[in-house]
Amino acid sequence: MNLIVRGPFAGILDFARRDRLSGIGAVLFASLVLLGLIGPVLPLGDAEEIGVGPRLAAPAADWLLGTDELGRSALPRIIEGLRATFLLASMAVILTGILGTLVGLTAAYAGGIVDVAIMRLVDVLFAFPPLLLGILIAAMLEPGGTSAIIAISLITLPLFVRVVRAVALSVVERSYVIAAEVSGAGFLRVIVFHLLPNVLGAVIVQLTYALSIGMLVESELSFLGLGVQPPDASLGSLLRLGSVYLTAAPWLVFPAGLLLAAAILSVNLLGDGLRDLMDPLRGRSLR
Amino acid sequence: MRIFRFIAFRLGIALVTLFGVSIIVFMAVHFVPGSYEDVILGPFGTPETRAIVRAKYGLDRPAVEQYLHWLAATAGGDFGTSLTTGQPVAAEIIRRAPATIQLAVMATLLAIAVGVPMGIASGVTSTSHFGRAAGRLVGALGASVPVFVLGTIFVFMFSIWSLGLTVGGYVPLLEDPMANMRAMTLPVVTLSVFGMALIQRTTRDAVLGVTAETHVTAAVARGERPPDIIRSHVLRNASIPIVTVTTVYFAYLLGGAIIVEQMFSVPGVAVYVVQSVKNRDYLAVQAGVLLAATVFVTINILADIVYALIDPRIGGKRSQS
Repeated sequence: MNLIVRGPFAGILDFARRDRLSGIGAVLFASLVLLGLIGPVLPLGDAEEIGVGPRLAAPAADWLLGTDELGRSALPRIIEGLRATFLLASMAVILTGILGTLVGLTAAYAGGIVDVAIMRLVDVLFAFPPLLLGILIAAMLEPGGTSAIIAISLITLPLFVRVVRAVALSVVERSYVIAAEVSGAGFLRVIVFHLLPNVLGAVIVQLTYALSIGMLVESELSFLGLGVQPPDASLGSLLRLGSVYLTAAPWLVFPAGLLLAAAILSVNLLGDGLRDLMDPLRGRSLR
Repeated sequence: MRIFRFIAFRLGIALVTLFGVSIIVFMAVHFVPGSYEDVILGPFGTPETRAIVRAKYGLDRPAVEQYLHWLAATAGGDFGTSLTTGQPVAAEIIRRAPATIQLAVMATLLAIAVGVPMGIASGVTSTSHFGRAAGRLVGALGASVPVFVLGTIFVFMFSIWSLGLTVGGYVPLLEDPMANMRAMTLPVVTLSVFGMALIQRTTRDAVLGVTAETHVTAAVARGERPPDIIRSHVLRNASIPIVTVTTVYFAYLLGGAIIVEQMFSVPGVAVYVVQSVKNRDYLAVQAGVLLAATVFVTINILADIVYALIDPRIGGKRSQS
C-alpha cells in the first residue's frame, strides 16, 4: 500500500537523498540528455548556417558562445555535438550491453568448450589498445558514425561478457535453475527467465561505465578526425577544429571541452552511486 | 609445483590470445581499402609493375601462406620494410621506443606519487560526509576529463605563461636532459592525470576495505598510533589492488598514448602506428598493433606471476578461469 502512495519515483528520490553526489550526477546527466534531445527545437539558431555573424567573433548577444571560422554560431553547434556524442555512444553501448549479456550468460550456462572459446575471444579483444582498435576500424571502414559505433562496441564488449559471466556462474548451480532444467526448461528459457534477472543489476552498473568509455572513445576518434565527419559536429571534432584558433578564439574550444567533461563526469558519478547501491557492503567502513 | 602449473597455464592463455590478435590484425589490414601496389606505385602502375610488386611481397600466394610467412618473420624480429619509406619497420620502432617508454614510465611514477597519498587521505577522511564526497569527486573528476581536453587547456595556459616549458620540441633524454624535460613535462602531466584518479580511487577503496577488517580494529584497540596502523596494517594489505591497477595503466600507456604523443609532437611508437594507418603502410600497422598487444599481454602476465609468487591463495583451481 505504502509503495503505491509513494509513487514510482520515490525509490530514485531516496537514492538521491542518501547519496548526494550520485544524485547530482543523475540530475546533471538527465539535464544534459534532455538538452541534447530538445536541442534542435531550442531557439538557439541554426547549427549549420554560415555567416550568422563575423568570423571568429567573441561571444555576444546574437551568438552567445561566439562564432567559428565560417561565421557559424558556436552554441547550437556545441549542443549538436553533445547530441551526436550521446547518441553514438549510447546506441553502441545499448547494443553491446544486450549482446554482451547474452554472450556472457551463454558462456556461464553452456560451460565447457563454449565458455573457453568465448573467454579467449574476449581476451583477444581486451588485448588491443582501445583507441588503436578504433583507428584500425576507422581505416577498414569509412571514418564516421558507423565505424565509431563498431569501435565502441568491440572495446566495451569485454566489460559486459566478463562481469555477466562471473555473476551468472555464481547462480547456475542454484536449486531453482536445476529445478527449471528438471521440469524441461530449454536453454533460452533458463537463460532469460532464471539467469538474466540475477545479472541485471551488474549489467546496469556496467552500462554506465561503458557509456563513459564510449563517450570518451567517440570524442577521441572525432578529435583525431576519424569519427563524425563534417559538416556534422561532435564534441571531439569541434575541439579539433577549434584548437587551430586556440589563442584567437578560445570560446570555440573551452565550452565544448567543459561540456564533454561534465557529461562524462555525470555518467561516472551515477555509475559509482549505482555500484554502491547494488553492492551495499562496499566502501562502508571506518565508522 | 602448483605454481609452475599456474605459470604454464597463464603463458598458454597469453599465447592463445596473441595468436588471436595476430589473426585479427592480419585480416583487418587486408580489409583496409587500397592495395600494396597503389601505395607503392601510386597512379603509375602498369600490369607488369603491379605483378612485380605483388610477387615481391608474396601477395600472389594464398592468404594462409602469407599469414604464416608474416608470423614466422615477425616472431623472429623481422617486421618487414615500410612501404612508404623503404626503411625497416623494426628499426623505426626501436628509434621511437625511448620516447614512448619515457612517457609511460614518468606518467606512471607521477600518477603513483600523487594518486597513492591522495587515496590514503580520502580513505582516512571518509569518516565525514564531506571528506567522503570530496574524495569521490576528485577521483571521478580526474577520470572524466578527456586527455585531449586537458592537453588543450595546458597548451592554452602555457602559450600564455611558458614557465620554461615547451609544447613540442622533443629532444632525446640522453642528448640534452634539460631540453628533454622542458618538452616532456606537459605531456607527462597530461597523461598522468587519468592515472592519478585511477590510483587515488583504487587506493581509497582498498583502504576503506582493509580498515573494516578485524586486524585493524585490533590494532586500534591496542592503542597503536594511526600513522603506524596505516603503514603496517592498512597499506600492506591494500597494496595488491593498487599494484594491479598501476600495472594495467602502465601497460595501457605503452600502447595507448596516441593523442598525447600527437598533441605534444612526441615522436613515439603510438603516433607512428597512427601515421602508418593513414599512409596505408600495412606492414608497419601490423607490427605496431601486434607489438602493442604483446606488450600489454606480457606485462599483465608478469603481474599475474608475481602475485602468484607473493600470495599463496592465488594459483589454486578457483583462480584458473
